[in-house]
Amino acid sequence: MILVILKDIAVLAGLSGALALLLVLAQSILNNYGECKININGKRDLTVKGGNNLLASLSDKAVFLPSACGGRGSCGACKCKVFSGGGPLLPTEKPFLSQAEIAAGVRLSCQIKVKTDIAIEIPESVYNIRKYSATISEIIDYTYDIKGITFMLEQGDSIDFKAGQYVQLLTEPYGKVRQRVSRAYSVSSKPEDRDRIQLIIRLVPEGICTTWVHTQLKVGDKVSFTGPYGDFFMRDTAADIIFVAGGSGKAPIKSMLEHLQLVGTSRKMTYFFGARTLRDLYLTQEMKAFEQVFPDFRYEPVLSQPQPTDEWHGKTGYVMPYFKEVLRDPQNTEAYLCGSPGMIDAVTKALLELGLSKDKIYFDSFG
Amino acid sequence: MKATTQELKVTARMQPGIITLSGFLGDDTRPLNEIVADDAATLARLERSAEEIAQRMQYFTDESWNTYLGGVLLDDKYQVETEVYRGKLPCPYVHPGVFRKAITRLTNSANGISVAWTALSIHLIAEHGFFEGRGSAFRLDPEILVKALWD
Repeated sequence: MILVILKDIAVLAGLSGALALLLVLAQSILNNYGECKININGKRDLTVKGGNNLLASLSDKAVFLPSACGGRGSCGACKCKVFSGGGPLLPTEKPFLSQAEIAAGVRLSCQIKVKTDIAIEIPESVYNIRKYSATISEIIDYTYDIKGITFMLEQGDSIDFKAGQYVQLLTEPYGKVRQRVSRAYSVSSKPEDRDRIQLIIRLVPEGICTTWVHTQLKVGDKVSFTGPYGDFFMRDTAADIIFVAGGSGKAPIKSMLEHLQLVGTSRKMTYFFGARTLRDLYLTQEMKAFEQVFPDFRYEPVLSQPQPTDEWHGKTGYVMPYFKEVLRDPQNTEAYLCGSPGMIDAVTKALLELGLSKDKIYFDSFG
Repeated sequence: MKATTQELKVTARMQPGIITLSGFLGDDTRPLNEIVADDAATLARLERSAEEIAQRMQYFTDESWNTYLGGVLLDDKYQVETEVYRGKLPCPYVHPGVFRKAITRLTNSANGISVAWTALSIHLIAEHGFFEGRGSAFRLDPEILVKALWD
């Protein structure tokens, strides 16, 4: 009896093993798309192994499209035009695409499986995006929840970016976090420092990357990031400028001012920094020092909820009421805003009411 | 109740370090469908629906959205503020869309109850009836939440 049972078990195990083997074989045959070519902008061919999604295939070849969700199809950032080979538009893409984009062949690269040769179009600026390795050379506690971290690139390496652009920092596994994630942060150092970048990072409750930065990273640690990304950068005109920032939104404005310090400018500039209390202010002396550098520059920190112990004698409330004090020609004024969407909305509304052109209000709303 | 394949996938995405640092389940050992079912039973007893709770939360978030540098007092008793951080989060239930990293904090001065939720919390309640597991950072006990939002 026992022998019969053992024999049956052995037969069943053998059958299961054979079926599993068959499945693996079938999968390797059916999912084997061989080598596929990705043609970019009609100029460059990349040869990749088929079967992966387009975003990852491009990334493997050091072509980095922006992505906030790591290819999960939930952020809509990795758009590119697909001329052929992309297959039908998927339901997971439609929520992120306008009718005009669909008509123009725009797709989410993370949702397209590369099964055949494919022809795409990406902005030329994407070619400047690459992966960097760096070592942390300095960590500064700016406030109780904001740190400034300087990343030195590997010897001989350099980065080319515009003041105001951002990079995506890649985390390493730590604690309960088993996978790597990437998060976007504006560069706060000037573009002329080509061998390093500084990021200003605020601790986000429950944030995987910011907790890693605030609790794990130390001077000497090696990290990697990709970039530069983004179209939030200074326009080279002679117009007056109003800068507005809050929290870690100070980063790109700091980069812009440090850049202007090197190249020189006579533009009239006013920088409003909104914070709640004195303990939320940082880099105040450094920003004030620009008043001695530029011929027409003012730094105006504004506290919305100054505490009695702050002994604050500066501007209070919201930043918007103070704009009209500094505006001399709304049609010849640009605004650069970086902060929460609430701040961006309120400030944009106020600036439009004062007569600024919508197309001269540039912002980074903590996307 | 046996968990479906989809629930197992969602549960995996709710673990620490996948979308948020501590995940969505806290130290709750119940299966996802039981967590949702238990909270649904509480809502039925309270005669409130997940949809109306989410709508009420959205109202407070919207009203405090533009008061980005401080709170707002609503209906003479709800002190509310919303703080927005850089970045967005996907929903652990797999579907398109991301949610801003925004935390709304509400204190009801009539009963002294304070609660906090994220933009994603509102979606999780409205669309999935999920108030998070016990012990998670943004667990919203339906009974306490209803008291905070209405009493």
